[in-house]
Amino acid sequence: MKFLVRLATKNLWRYGRRTLITAAAIALGLATYVLLDSMLVGADEESVRNLIWYETGSARVMHPDYWAERERAPLRHVIEDPDSVLDALRSQDVAATPRTTFSGELIVWRDPFPEDGSLLVHVTAIDPETDGRVYRFDQWITEGRPLQAGEPGVVLGSWLAEDLGAEVGYPLIISARSRYGARVTIDAEVVGILNSPNPVINRGGIFLPLDIADLYLDMEGAVTQIDLRFADYARVEGPIAELKQLPALRDLEIADWRLLGADYIAMMEADSVGSGIILFLVFVIAAVGVSNTMLMTIFERTREIGMMRALGMDDRAIRNLFLIEAAGIGLIGAAAGILLGALGNIPMVRVGIDYSAMFRTMDAGYRSTGVLYGAWVPSTFVIAALMGVALAVIVALVPTRRALRMDIPRALSRQ
Amino acid sequence: MISVTNVQKQYRDGDTTVHALRGVSLSIEQGEFISIAGPSGSGKTTLLNLIGCIDTATAGEISIDGRAVAGCGKRELAAIRREKLGFVFQSFNLIPVLTAFENVAFSLTLTGTPDAEARERTMRILDEVGLAGMEDRRPSQLSGGQQQRVAVARALVKEPTVVLADEPTANLDSRTGHAILELMVEMNRRHNTTFVFSTHDQMVMDYARRLTMLHDGEIVSDERRSA
Ligand SMILES: Nc1ncnc2c1ncn2[C@@H]1O[C@H](COP(=O)(O)OP(=O)(O)OP(=O)(O)O)[C@@H](O)[C@H]1O
Ligand SMILES: [Mg+2]
Repeated sequence: MKFLVRLATKNLWRYGRRTLITAAAIALGLATYVLLDSMLVGADEESVRNLIWYETGSARVMHPDYWAERERAPLRHVIEDPDSVLDALRSQDVAATPRTTFSGELIVWRDPFPEDGSLLVHVTAIDPETDGRVYRFDQWITEGRPLQAGEPGVVLGSWLAEDLGAEVGYPLIISARSRYGARVTIDAEVVGILNSPNPVINRGGIFLPLDIADLYLDMEGAVTQIDLRFADYARVEGPIAELKQLPALRDLEIADWRLLGADYIAMMEADSVGSGIILFLVFVIAAVGVSNTMLMTIFERTREIGMMRALGMDDRAIRNLFLIEAAGIGLIGAAAGILLGALGNIPMVRVGIDYSAMFRTMDAGYRSTGVLYGAWVPSTFVIAALMGVALAVIVALVPTRRALRMDIPRALSRQ
Repeated sequence: MISVTNVQKQYRDGDTTVHALRGVSLSIEQGEFISIAGPSGSGKTTLLNLIGCIDTATAGEISIDGRAVAGCGKRELAAIRREKLGFVFQSFNLIPVLTAFENVAFSLTLTGTPDAEARERTMRILDEVGLAGMEDRRPSQLSGGQQQRVAVARALVKEPTVVLADEPTANLDSRTGHAILELMVEMNRRHNTTFVFSTHDQMVMDYARRLTMLHDGEIVSDERRSA
């Protein structure tokens, strides 16, 4: 075995150029794999972050019957006494903010808007004082200013504003039904436009101060939800189980972001099947490229194989020799590929890739508006290295076996 | 020691069958220096391949050191070649990445000879074939004649029952060819190693102490000559 490794190493040197070309093909395939995977994982991580930071929080407290009817955003199943819940949460050091979501009709008129129009919408009433404890909107107000308690102002998602032709200072009307079914009309003014990293918010977000909603909708202090933020969004089960013990939350339900964003997460998982196929294709292409040179390398050495067999070297030893050579090529390729992938990943992680134009027009499902960042995924590098070596060996197996099936006199008579 | 009994070899070439050997019988004793001669296509290479256990006969029997080859499997044949047979090829066939020393030692690596012993035997045989001082050269740094000397050393170093050489001088100029033949004669005399070589060159045949003529797959003459 030691002898085979030594001989294999020498052969790799002797066919240096070809070794490098083959290793380069492997390296390119692996680097592509590493970068693609980094991007996909990065996109997924960012999507989850943007889901949590702008849509769901880490978890949500609500009335037990609310979830089943959430599509209609009913005001029937509410948290009657949010202050006691908020106090209880504060005693546990959990960041929380109350919100009320309701459905209504957004009505705009020609002048100053380009044309008359109305739109069925979900409006989110937020508490300007505490919303920032859970969500991160303020820094993304690109025009105007954030909401202020007590004034009938509206913040619109930037794409929605663009579609409506809305600008800061424009008046609009929200028509809705109060908690008791009375038709109410809220006269409001656009005070800010929000261009967040979350496309769902940009496309449909309409925000109103909570006290205004409370007043118009006859809520009498009740809210539809209290949103929470935990230190680590990956671990929510433990904190939720603890909160459920609190007396103030006994009759309420707590849903984590995985449930709140279930539709989206299902979509993301479907996407990852697609990306698995892409990664597989990368490898098929690399395999085809590598198998070609491997085939030539082995074919060219048919006579050498015949000679070694004539001298009584076991077929298995000869096969091992060629597989060790292949593994060596795979190893060089893997090392280069990982290096290349790591170097390429640095700018991907730091600078990212700007996809904003693409995401605007196409709803890819990702909760990301523009710049996608790569991620460091150690397991990808390990998998890539193993795959590189495995690929080279598998690809060498077939031509080696074929060369060994040829009878010796014929192999020896090859030029 | 080597006995070939009524051996036939047919090649299928599409629909036609080529009768390369049509019943050849031959007995070779220890220490012989025998040339298989005959015109092109007469079956010399085929016969050497059969004795060399790199091809199998269609009919007949071959035994080496009393061991019948016919029933052997691939691995047993490889073992026979490794332990009992030495090969010298027309086109030298050295391993290009190995030095002269390593090429010769390769034979002993295959038989699992301990390193120290292999080293000593390799150096000794390289000295005998006149390559002292060139152990570290690669085949590409050696002339054709020197490469063939390495090949002879590689065949001899394992002290085989027989060295088989198919046209060992065909790729060499005549002076170098003579030198190689003289080397083989010398080795035959010194070690009493059996040599079987094929040729269609009259000058080469003159070195043989036994000349077996093949024609169209049959032995037409087989004569011993005193040296
Ligand atoms: N693999 C093969 N398939 C078909 N026919 C073959 C094969 N090998 C040899 N032959 C035929 O068998 C016959 C004997 O060939 P062989 O090579 O033994 O002759 P040779 O005496 O060595 O000739 P040369 O002096 O040209 O080397 C020839 O007719 C040749 O064409
Ligand atoms: Mg021949």
